Amino acid sequence: MKILLVEDNPELTQNVVNYLSGEGIICETAQNLYEAQDKILSFDYDCVLLDLMLPDGNGLELLEIIKSQKIETSVLIISAKDALDDRLRGLDEGADDYLPKPFHLSELLARLKAIFRRSKTGGFDEIVFNEITIEIHQLLAKVNNQPLDLTKKEFDLLLFFITNKNRVLGKQAIAQHLWGDYTDDLANFDFVYQHVKNLRKKITGAGGKDYISTVYGIGYKFDPLVS
Amino acid sequence: MQLINIITLWYLGITLAALLVGGFFIYNKLGSEIDFELGMELTREIDAYAERIEKGAPPNRLLYDKLEITEIPFDLPIEELHLRDTLAYHDPMNRNEIQLKASKSYKIDGKHYRISYYNLVVEADDITETVVVTMLSVFAIQLVFIGIFFRFISKKILSPFHKSLDAVQGFSFQKNEPLQFTKNGISEFEKLNEFLERMSKKLLTDYRQIKEFSENLSHEIQTPSAVIRGKLEHLMNGEITGEQADLIHSAYQNNERINRIVRSLGMLAKLENEEFEAPQTLNLSSYIQKTLDGLDELIEMRSIQLSTEIDPMVWLEIHPFVAEVLLTNLIGNSIKHNIDHGSIHIELNPDHLRIENSGKAPKNDPEEFLERFKKGSELPDSIGLGLAIVKQICVNYGFRIFYYYENNMHVIRILFR
Repeated sequence: MKILLVEDNPELTQNVVNYLSGEGIICETAQNLYEAQDKILSFDYDCVLLDLMLPDGNGLELLEIIKSQKIETSVLIISAKDALDDRLRGLDEGADDYLPKPFHLSELLARLKAIFRRSKTGGFDEIVFNEITIEIHQLLAKVNNQPLDLTKKEFDLLLFFITNKNRVLGKQAIAQHLWGDYTDDLANFDFVYQHVKNLRKKITGAGGKDYISTVYGIGYKFDPLVS
Repeated sequence: MQLINIITLWYLGITLAALLVGGFFIYNKLGSEIDFELGMELTREIDAYAERIEKGAPPNRLLYDKLEITEIPFDLPIEELHLRDTLAYHDPMNRNEIQLKASKSYKIDGKHYRISYYNLVVEADDITETVVVTMLSVFAIQLVFIGIFFRFISKKILSPFHKSLDAVQGFSFQKNEPLQFTKNGISEFEKLNEFLERMSKKLLTDYRQIKEFSENLSHEIQTPSAVIRGKLEHLMNGEITGEQADLIHSAYQNNERINRIVRSLGMLAKLENEEFEAPQTLNLSSYIQKTLDGLDELIEMRSIQLSTEIDPMVWLEIHPFVAEVLLTNLIGNSIKHNIDHGSIHIELNPDHLRIENSGKAPKNDPEEFLERFKKGSELPDSIGLGLAIVKQICVNYGFRIFYYYENNMHVIRILFR
């Protein structure tokens, strides 16, 4: 997967590039609208991560160019301007998703993967990880071909873990992923712990390995190398 | 009461008092003046009769109903003129009337006559009547003049004031124009207008600053905060010791807290600035259902009994995003601040929304939780803005909110009208 990150803050750019390239995603960057236009017209990208507040204009202008030039790429808007109007306008004008800043990098990766899956396979794909198989369009997870009885949230959680495998996922990131923006303070009410506990129980109950481990009370990690 | 009416009433009251006092003096003066003139007149008459007697006219021939001539002993001293009121027969009216009697004695040709002359007195009643009628007409004329001219003049004099008043009433932050007044030449009003102009300018600047601040706040704080978060997440993924993990965790949590505070304050500022326009008529019942669906696992996890009485046809004019925040905050709170094996009861009808949940008894007046940064619980992660946002939403949409603790339950009630 190859993406273009349009973002004027170099520190943030570096964070994102670090995280995504660790997942084998090729990241190119543009610091302003001009540079972004240049790149989008010259190269192909699977997805554009677009900040709206750029030094030389609003990121929505780039979106217009992408649509009017019929450039084939998905667009994920990332913006600190979480004003609802911007969000709606962005989606109206053909952006695939909108992620308000500040986001968790794990969340960004999950959204990016979801967009990628939708655009490439229409969502009809399977993610296979060792003995675990996830059929996304059916919200079905299997361990050793045996379906797991997961709730919607547990399913989301499993997908989130596998997407971000080998990464430490903070409790806040998990809470925000499961319950959305305005409920992230639920993270510290042990709800995340309960969900993770249930998920682990269900996977191991079906004969799967216990991949999920606790990391010093910070969060959890889906560790593929668990023995 | 209008200013002009107050002034008119006071003015009329004072005038009335002045007319009463004036009337009293006029009455007295009029009475004594009339008596004096009458006395003079009578004296002249008496002198005239005395002269005629001196010239040889027989006194008994002169007599008539107003004149009395008596002969008195010659050795009595001459009586000086004296006046007195008396009842005497008045021929034309054919009855006794109060008359003024003047008498004086003359010694003429060795005889001593006392000549008395009567005349009708102007009665006190008549004087009173005159005075009262005069005063009343003066008062009535004043009333009419004040009624007409005061109103007219006051309109003219007070017109700058009314203009200022209109301008202040029409002042709005959305228009973003300071108040401006034309010169009117009345120093008090000039001072007032000058003050209003200055104040409106100051208000607009403050408002703009606050608005800009809240607009920039999210961007200016959230970008560095996102950077911090990314760095910490990066650190988390490295080889760390337990001690380092604690440090990272603590830094991470506090960064999250800053984020939440900034976002909540930004939300509050947006609500206060009424930036959520274009409300839609939406079905609140289905919004509640959606919120509950998103949170039902949390309810289950704490073994909370949920019961609902939701009228499926509750329509409300509200911004969809605001409705979502309102419900998430309220229902989220009822879960977070609940106890294991507790209960939540939600009631929604076109009249009100009532959310009742078990939980620890509040130490203070629960209404306080509606204020900013007033927390009811010791939970370190609640920042104490959720209910402040709910309250502000209620203010914006004209709902009334009540929070009380009753029968061991926390009750939040929102009246929609």
